[in-house]
Amino acid sequence: MTSGVTVKNELPTKIAVNNLQFFYGDQLALRNVNLPLYTNKVTALIGPSGCGKSTFLRVLNRMYDLYPHQRAEGEVLLDGRNILDPQQDLNLLRARVGMVFQKPTPFPMSIYDNIAFGIRLYEKLPKSELDGRVETALRGAGIWDEVQGKLHASGLSLSGGQQQRLCIARTVAIHPEVILFDEPCSALDPISTAKVEELIDELKENYTIAIVTHNMQQAARVSEYAAFMYLGELVEFATTTQLFTLPENPRTQNYITGRFG
Amino acid sequence: MAVYTSRRRSNAIWLSLCYASAAFGLGWLVIILATLLWRGAGGLSLAVFTQMTPPPDQSGGLLNAIAGSLIMTGLGVAIGTPLGVFAGTYMAEYGRHTKLTFVVRFINDILLSAPSIVIGLFVYEVMVTRMGHFSGIAGAVALAVIVVPVVVRTTEDMLLLVPAPLREAASALGLPRSTVIRKVAYRAARAGLITGVLLAVARVSGETAPLLFTALNNQFFSTDLNAPMASLPAIIFQFAMSPYKAWQSLAWSGALIITFAVLALSIFARVLGSKGSSR
Amino acid sequence: MTDSHTVRAYDAELEALGRKIAEMGGIAEKMLSDGMDALAGYDGDLARATIACDLRLDVLQREIEEQAIMTIARRQPLAADLREIVAAIRISGDLERVGDLAKNIAKRALKLSAETRMQRAIIGLKSMHETAAMLLKDVLDAYALRDADRARQVWTNDVELDALEDSVFRDLLTFMMEDPRNISFCAHLLFVSKNIERIGDHCTNIAETVVYLVSGEVLPMDRPKGPSPAADFQTSK
Repeated sequence: MTSGVTVKNELPTKIAVNNLQFFYGDQLALRNVNLPLYTNKVTALIGPSGCGKSTFLRVLNRMYDLYPHQRAEGEVLLDGRNILDPQQDLNLLRARVGMVFQKPTPFPMSIYDNIAFGIRLYEKLPKSELDGRVETALRGAGIWDEVQGKLHASGLSLSGGQQQRLCIARTVAIHPEVILFDEPCSALDPISTAKVEELIDELKENYTIAIVTHNMQQAARVSEYAAFMYLGELVEFATTTQLFTLPENPRTQNYITGRFG
Repeated sequence: MAVYTSRRRSNAIWLSLCYASAAFGLGWLVIILATLLWRGAGGLSLAVFTQMTPPPDQSGGLLNAIAGSLIMTGLGVAIGTPLGVFAGTYMAEYGRHTKLTFVVRFINDILLSAPSIVIGLFVYEVMVTRMGHFSGIAGAVALAVIVVPVVVRTTEDMLLLVPAPLREAASALGLPRSTVIRKVAYRAARAGLITGVLLAVARVSGETAPLLFTALNNQFFSTDLNAPMASLPAIIFQFAMSPYKAWQSLAWSGALIITFAVLALSIFARVLGSKGSSR
Repeated sequence: MTDSHTVRAYDAELEALGRKIAEMGGIAEKMLSDGMDALAGYDGDLARATIACDLRLDVLQREIEEQAIMTIARRQPLAADLREIVAAIRISGDLERVGDLAKNIAKRALKLSAETRMQRAIIGLKSMHETAAMLLKDVLDAYALRDADRARQVWTNDVELDALEDSVFRDLLTFMMEDPRNISFCAHLLFVSKNIERIGDHCTNIAETVVYLVSGEVLPMDRPKGPSPAADFQTSK
């Protein structure tokens, strides 16, 4: 099976995935995946449920390490260094590769602490400077105006869309280099979705972004590169424009035009 | 139409059976509480809380028993809670899929339902016979042994209820495992954890059998952990069995105090728990 | 387009678009041949009937546009579906213009019925018409069969029509110089030849669209073109 990598002009690559295989126990979940994430670009991963796109994302920050019987083989090069190396410091890796989840997951603490929590772990800052960092992060996630007056209210008191942007702010606050979005809008209403998408658009100035989404229109809207995965394989990787107007692989075509199964 | 009539009839029968059973169960509770109030409230006075247990047929109070109960319960919970929380944390967080956890959980469940007299006998054998005398500390240890499985169980259950994405989200920030557990998982499970401890307190504060074998009893006020210590359940047991009217009345008052203390704790735990889950 | 959509109404919408394009193509073809027949036969009634046909073409074009917009709004088409709908919009526009041009020819036919006839001058136009009709038929077939090669053929064959127009232009000029009384008649025919040439252009547009529809490929801007002195006289309609 050849992976249909059709992007020709080579851009600076933040993460290069080579011959990645992933196992849940004995079950092969990703089969020989080769995929680059270009620096400061948004790459969307699409495909039907269970195709391995979320699994792929969870390899990039080794989230799977939390669970036994899950393992990855191959090479995932972050700035040229293989993060699948057993020597890799996972906490350091996750500080560099942040993740935003499908369901908003604010911690059971105040809005302020949700942001400050992660920062405190890495840096000892005086209160005034910490305040500044929290504000910058909340502004960066476009939620400052909405929470400005209630920084010490519980993070759980926010609406779903606000919670999700709080989680993005939390991720941004510790200055990662890559942000992974795992279906960040599937629990949000269209307006909150638009706000998150706008945010992703702004974030790509400074971060390399990968987003898994079930919503093809969303992939088309936010990404510059897109990958279609099916049954644990990468079927096609191309610029978003090409993938959505002129997919090379008939399986991609069938999926994105709604002709599956 | 006939189908509907028969359905409605069987529905009515089932419903009345359920109501009857609920009323039967609740009825006994009401009768017990009413009897307690009836027999115990009369003897309640300031003296009950300020005076020592009297010799037969003299007036007195339950101060030494209340104090002993508080000390031994407090100590038992203080010993048992950290052990239970740590064990529960291991089972839910670190060793979720290990054989050890499976074994511990199984044994813990047995311990949870073990008759408390067995635990009393065990501590008697291990501590009282070695020390050569009954003691408050032995009582506290016996209670701690009862506390541990309750706290282990609630801790594990409550931590397992913390949604995995929350834990993943914390890990995704690069937090070390211990920080994830202390700052995020415990916080999210806080109401449940406190409820578990309160339930353990309620459970042990009424225990009699293990204390009879360990702390025995004491007619006098004592805070010496190395000496026998009075406790409400033990005093109630002793006084209620006696032929003396004054002792019997005190036993009723003691029973009333202990019951309402436990009831109050349970309600408090329930309120805390429901606050936790409504979020 | 092997499988059908999970949502079957989507298929029905796309099929309806295709059917309407086919209907438009048929009407445009008939208008072109009727218009030319009216011209050659000085048939005023046929000319008026042809002019009346244009209305139906306009209505169909609007319907296609509305349906296409509705489908875009409701289904967010992608890839082949997206190209299908874009193609429908573009082709219906081209066919509507073909209809307008055929109508213009019919209008000229009405005017010419009052002039002195000059059969010799019309012969060149007839072969232009034959070529244009062939281009139109081929490109409509290419669309119906999703045949990119056939469409490419039309795209290159338009050169012939340009060359024919060139020679018709020279002939008509010669006739006008021979006898100034021919000028009015021949001037009308010049406009007709221009109309036919433009129909050929629309056929190449449709051919480009068909190639895009089938392969996603965009044909180069510079189509092979014959020398066209008529370009100096180009009028805007």
